[in-house]
Amino acid sequence: MTKKNSSAIQRRLIPTYIFLIIVSFISVFPLYWMVSAATNRSVDVARGKITFGTYMVTNFQNLTAQTDLWGALGNSFLYALVQTLVSLLVCSLAGFGFELYHDKWKDKVFSILLLAMMIPQVATMIPLFKMISSVGLLNTVWAFILPSISTPFLIMMFRQNSRNFPVDIMEAARLDGLSEFQIYFRMYMPVMKSTYAAAAVITFMNAWNSYLWPKVVMADTRAQTMPMLIANLASGYTVDYGVLMMGVLFCSVPTMIIFFVLQKQFAEGITGSVK
Amino acid sequence: MKKKLVSLLLVGVLAMSAFIACGKTDDSAEAPADAESEDSAAAMYTSDDENTLTVAAWDANFNIPALKAAGEAFKKENPDFNLEIIEQSQSEDIENAVTTAAEAKDYSNLPDIVLFQDHYFQQYVTNYPDAWQDVDDADIDWSDFGEEKLSFSTIDGTHYGLPVDNGTVIFAYRVDLLDECGYTLDDVTGITWDKFIEIGEQVYNKTGKYLLSMDGSGNDLPYMMLQAEGQSQFKDGKAVLADNDTLVQILEVIEEMQQKNVLLLENDWDGYTNDIQKDMVAGVMNGNWIIPTIEQVTENSGKWEITSMPTLSGEEGYASNGGSSLYITANCKKTDLAKEFLAYTFGGGEGSIETYDNALRDGGVITTCISAGQSDVYQEGVAYFNDQAIYAKIVEMGSHVKVVEQSDYHYTVRENISAAITNIHNGTPVADALQQAQEEVDFAMED
Amino acid sequence: MSKQRNGLNIQGKQQRAGWVFLAPAAIMIAIFSFYPIIQAFITSFTTGTGVNQKVADPLIYNYTRMFTDKTFLRSVGNTFLYLAIEVPVMLVLAILLAQLLNNKDLKFRGLFRTMVFLPCATALVSYALIFKSLFAQDGLINTIFVNLGILENNYNFLGNTASARVIIIIALIWRWTGYNMVFYLAGLQNIEYSVYEAAKIDGANGWKTFWKITVPLLMPTIVMTVIMSINGTLQLFDESMNLTQGGPAFSTITMSHYIYNVAFGRGVGKFGYASAMSFFIFILVAILSAISMKVGDTRD
Repeated sequence: MTKKNSSAIQRRLIPTYIFLIIVSFISVFPLYWMVSAATNRSVDVARGKITFGTYMVTNFQNLTAQTDLWGALGNSFLYALVQTLVSLLVCSLAGFGFELYHDKWKDKVFSILLLAMMIPQVATMIPLFKMISSVGLLNTVWAFILPSISTPFLIMMFRQNSRNFPVDIMEAARLDGLSEFQIYFRMYMPVMKSTYAAAAVITFMNAWNSYLWPKVVMADTRAQTMPMLIANLASGYTVDYGVLMMGVLFCSVPTMIIFFVLQKQFAEGITGSVK
Repeated sequence: MKKKLVSLLLVGVLAMSAFIACGKTDDSAEAPADAESEDSAAAMYTSDDENTLTVAAWDANFNIPALKAAGEAFKKENPDFNLEIIEQSQSEDIENAVTTAAEAKDYSNLPDIVLFQDHYFQQYVTNYPDAWQDVDDADIDWSDFGEEKLSFSTIDGTHYGLPVDNGTVIFAYRVDLLDECGYTLDDVTGITWDKFIEIGEQVYNKTGKYLLSMDGSGNDLPYMMLQAEGQSQFKDGKAVLADNDTLVQILEVIEEMQQKNVLLLENDWDGYTNDIQKDMVAGVMNGNWIIPTIEQVTENSGKWEITSMPTLSGEEGYASNGGSSLYITANCKKTDLAKEFLAYTFGGGEGSIETYDNALRDGGVITTCISAGQSDVYQEGVAYFNDQAIYAKIVEMGSHVKVVEQSDYHYTVRENISAAITNIHNGTPVADALQQAQEEVDFAMED
Repeated sequence: MSKQRNGLNIQGKQQRAGWVFLAPAAIMIAIFSFYPIIQAFITSFTTGTGVNQKVADPLIYNYTRMFTDKTFLRSVGNTFLYLAIEVPVMLVLAILLAQLLNNKDLKFRGLFRTMVFLPCATALVSYALIFKSLFAQDGLINTIFVNLGILENNYNFLGNTASARVIIIIALIWRWTGYNMVFYLAGLQNIEYSVYEAAKIDGANGWKTFWKITVPLLMPTIVMTVIMSINGTLQLFDESMNLTQGGPAFSTITMSHYIYNVAFGRGVGKFGYASAMSFFIFILVAILSAISMKVGDTRD
């Protein structure tokens, strides 16, 4: 392609660039506002100041003084990590089983499981609480993660992406004497790593942002998570918006970093290209 | 594609299995949960340490400092004592925690003591009597508290709670702006709402600021105005909205105030507090817990003073809005310690002066305990309020608040009255809007 | 003969291994999703609150009650309004963005993609706060509109029925378009370039290529996002709760939000009635998902 040709293409793309820039601006502006608000006094935030201020350090100091920021960050990381790990293991095993060992009955079970996607959360909260409390798991990490370990969405994602898994190498592996479990651990897992990455991003984000359920089962302050910490800052008769936005920043940054780091694998994994 | 068929089939299967499960008694499933809770991991939320009490509360700028003050005061008497405060984001969190615990019949997730909204407590006792322990035999002189406040935490003559804050309504005015328009604080004290509107119009025209603003969704305004008239939205356990002449008049006043730029109704609580912070208002009327929000605008220090509410008749109006009290839950095993602590601090005991003085200094929490309200701190002038002794004034005003009939459906009514105000503002006649609210509330009050 | 039996055995073993693999996930879904919804279904035949809860008389009382409940019917109407407008607009926008970003000649593709995706990584509380402040009566949007002469006076966007609904829809589109776009983008990248080349040779223009090639090949992804969006919208809760609190005058309340109010946020809950309404949503979602699977299924 000649240079001239390429600049002609770029010229034709100008409307596309303009459109994308507008969309990107709309997408990012509220986030910019969040960052700038974290550097402003509460009164200035309320008055709609959108430029950076000089209260960043003050807001940060107030935040750490008022709340157990590091504790909440630690908890959130712990819960989100444990949930991501367990959830990925359970759901990928199921996706593997459903697709690569499929038969009529397994397909039926699969469609039944998909129905679980449609159950509204409010409907199950009380029965779930009864269940968790009856086995004495309240205020433990298990109360947080158990109900959301196995999700139809993740199973579906692993199952769909498993379609591209080369079945021939399974046969070859069996001839080599590998057990079915060994096939899963040694062949399936490495091949599917971009699906794992995508699933990890989604699960981590959901776990990190979940609020209603943890609130019900994690009554202990020592178990507080970031969204709870923010909610505490956001309500009350008097709200300090500068400090609140500093908290929001600490809550949003980890998920964004995870996405930045994994975004290439995320995009690949989401519809299952196999490498 | 067979999936859809299977999906539909499954709905049927689910329904069937539910009926089968229904046949087996439901009670058997709950029994083990009950037994389990006696000894299971209760230690997570209450403390094993015999000198430690846990308490759940909300609002870091208001209730939490009051509890800290109480913890410190009691510690001087009992050096080993430790009060662990579990901060919640809002009163609703505690209500939900009690609901889920009571529904599961497992109270092990509750702390020893909870702060609970006054308006909700009655229905929680009626519905979940097992969730609470009464404080009747605590060492407390109940006559030392405002009658209206105690009416929330006393059920059938049994005392369940200890009042913490005082929700007495204040009307704070920017006296500098009133002065600009030729009025003094006396001119807005003991006036009719008509007169208030007249003054409010002048203030808006001269200064561009509203003399009153309110959160339109939570809708405290009609409740406060009604209480100042000594009226309730309920009579004999039924909602009285459509045939309530006082309420009709009040809603007409509210609409007139909106049209004449006297009242700014915001969409929600954030908008309301933002307006105050943005210096858009010349007057603020709410429970006295609104004071810290007013004080955030430091540049207006010295320009505010407080007084009572206007009424329809022109007498001084007194009301109370949004207080809360402390209650001992069923999960508390150290009931005696909890009672002792509450009596000593919030209950007018030896530590109460220290508790309430510090609660006032650190959180602006004002007592409903009459003897504690006589301490020196309460008599001090407050610089932000032009050196007016506002706290003494609030305690005094609080003693005039009339007891009005309450109901479990307090907030349902509020929501629907709020909808009525919106509808009236959009052109619905007052009578029709109230009729609609009446129907919605009556519907909600059915089983 | 023995060889054949052996073969069957191996197959049987493999089938069994498959069941073992999917068992943990299936069992967990049964315990943590199906068992609770069955419990909720049982509860839906009770009335009253707390210790006064009793079996409904007639048994389907709650199910008939909900159709005379004006607020509930309004919440159903609102939810379907959001569904009818938000889902198509969002998905079309997402496909459009994906299509634009799939152009190999485009520079800064990664940057654009990241920026468009970022909203869904934002914590809910911040996004609600930001939208409320932007659309406040003296917020940025009002200032801009008044200065441009579009509006004469500041408008209370969140305080009026129509505009409050529009803002909820805008907020939803803002938050979720990027998320859906990523799915489409990945789907598009799986389509071989040669398919397009062939179409070009056949003389198909861009529009035709899009409808005849891109859309059919993307169909599985589209069906998935449609189901996810329907499901998400019918269970919509956070936006209604945090942006408008269902107001003004219940005009923006969603089904899940109303159920939450009946069960939790308004004092002691009516769990029987709330369960009945939840079960109603469950059936609605199931039916709608079944329809979209049927419509999207081009294979048989």
